[in-house]
Amino acid sequence: MIDWFGFVIVAIVTLVGAVFVVTMYSLGVRLDAVSDDPEANSPGAAKFGSYVCFGFSILAVVAGIVLIVPPFYKAAMHVFGVEV
Amino acid sequence: MVVLVIALALFFDFTNGFHDTANAMATPIATGAIKPKTAVALAAILNLVGAFLSTEVAKTISGGIINEGGPNGVAITPEMIFAGLMGAVLWNLFTWLLGLPSSSSHALFGGLIGAAIVGTWSFGAVNFMVVISKVLLPAILAPAIAGLVAYLCTRLAYGITRRSDPDSGDKLTQKRGGFRRGQVFSSSLVALAHGTNDAQKTMGVITLVLVASGLQTAGTGPHLWVITACAIAIAGGTYAGGWRIIRTLGSGLTDVKPAQGFAAETSTAAAILASSHLGFALSTTHVASGSVIGSGLGRKGATVRWGAIGKIGIAWLLTLPSAAIVGGLAALLIRTGTVGLVIVAILGLGAILFMFYRSQREVVDHNNAISDVDAVGEALNIPSKKEREKLAAKARAAQKVAEKAARRAAETAAVRADAQTALDRADTAVLKAMTKAAAQAEAPKDKAKIDAKKGNK
Repeated sequence: MIDWFGFVIVAIVTLVGAVFVVTMYSLGVRLDAVSDDPEANSPGAAKFGSYVCFGFSILAVVAGIVLIVPPFYKAAMHVFGVEV
Repeated sequence: MVVLVIALALFFDFTNGFHDTANAMATPIATGAIKPKTAVALAAILNLVGAFLSTEVAKTISGGIINEGGPNGVAITPEMIFAGLMGAVLWNLFTWLLGLPSSSSHALFGGLIGAAIVGTWSFGAVNFMVVISKVLLPAILAPAIAGLVAYLCTRLAYGITRRSDPDSGDKLTQKRGGFRRGQVFSSSLVALAHGTNDAQKTMGVITLVLVASGLQTAGTGPHLWVITACAIAIAGGTYAGGWRIIRTLGSGLTDVKPAQGFAAETSTAAAILASSHLGFALSTTHVASGSVIGSGLGRKGATVRWGAIGKIGIAWLLTLPSAAIVGGLAALLIRTGTVGLVIVAILGLGAILFMFYRSQREVVDHNNAISDVDAVGEALNIPSKKEREKLAAKARAAQKVAEKAARRAAETAAVRADAQTALDRADTAVLKAMTKAAAQAEAPKDKAKIDAKKGNK
């Protein structure tokens, strides 16, 4: 039988994953640009903010990979005390 | 026999890497985010790693599509698989040589299906339900999903990074070049995803052979040595395919901007990874192309060349049937016995060598070397900023001319109206004069009559 639910999952995951990573990275780029402005208010804070955003995007990617690779997934769930 | 099939399967994996290297790395190479040599090496390593990560797709292939064993199934012999692989490999090389966009995955499926149907002379050999749900439907939906997501992400990326000075409205530094570095990561992701999806297919086929020849129980996943062998094969093919690309750089690649490329690749990677997890066997070519189109549409002023897209779509649809036909023909030959098998093997080898030889000789240029994804870029017409401004200026000039013409028409109409009024007045005046004259002409007559009467009296 056709696994329609699977398609829905793929659609949602793709959407959420890609949008999150792109948004975080774009914010990082924007904050980076702000911090390089000659008349910026607080260039340090903006730079820091940009790194945080980049960090989030990388985190999202790593989380995705963990979810997909069975050994990693089991190990991660083990850390949370959930047996898979 | 089994060994021969395994060897051919690994060769197919190799050609798969060859064909698809550029799908992951084309855009960052195009925007200059990464050096070609580094890109190719990176892609090879990541494909290798990706192959180990997930085995869902392999299970689909080995257990799903073809009904092996059991009361309802048919006996799938290694010879059949050999024929199927031969069909896939030949079709793969053929399209690669001609620069036609083709999905290695569909070639594989087509070859196997064709060989199975002809080999067992019945349509019952293939579980069409699985083919539809895990191959054909994903082939249509996944690029669509990836394209849609890429479109959204491109708009997001451009929107979030668009800054203008609140006072003067000028554009401030946007540093979208930062996306270039991100592209290195996103295309690495795509290469990884490719490994999880494409190397699996060969693993599935090899497992199928092992099951069919009784060396492995049906329903189990692929062995470790199978996984390793396929991973190395696809990584090798990826690396080897890269040299062809490196040779041609500088001949004009699709106009892809870093932010757009980043959005497209992230969408592709997400779609492929999610699908691999569910066991959907995808064509990375299709998904990547869908993302490129979606992200291209997200840019300002992009228009779609429907003709080119139609051509690409048709080529995609034809791949599976075409490979099926070649696989079926090979199976037909093999049915005649060992002689047939030898003939197929020799013909196949000859064809492979011939195509390889031709590939070394012909001119490698933009059209056939870079990637199918790059070719897809031709389907969109994204005017650059200069072109956009030119178009806008043209539109303004056209508008001015139209206004002038309208004004002139209005003037002419006004003049005509005045003339008409004057004419009307003149008419009225003439009429009045005539009436008066007529009245006067009447009046003296009466007067004469009255005078005459008076005179008579």
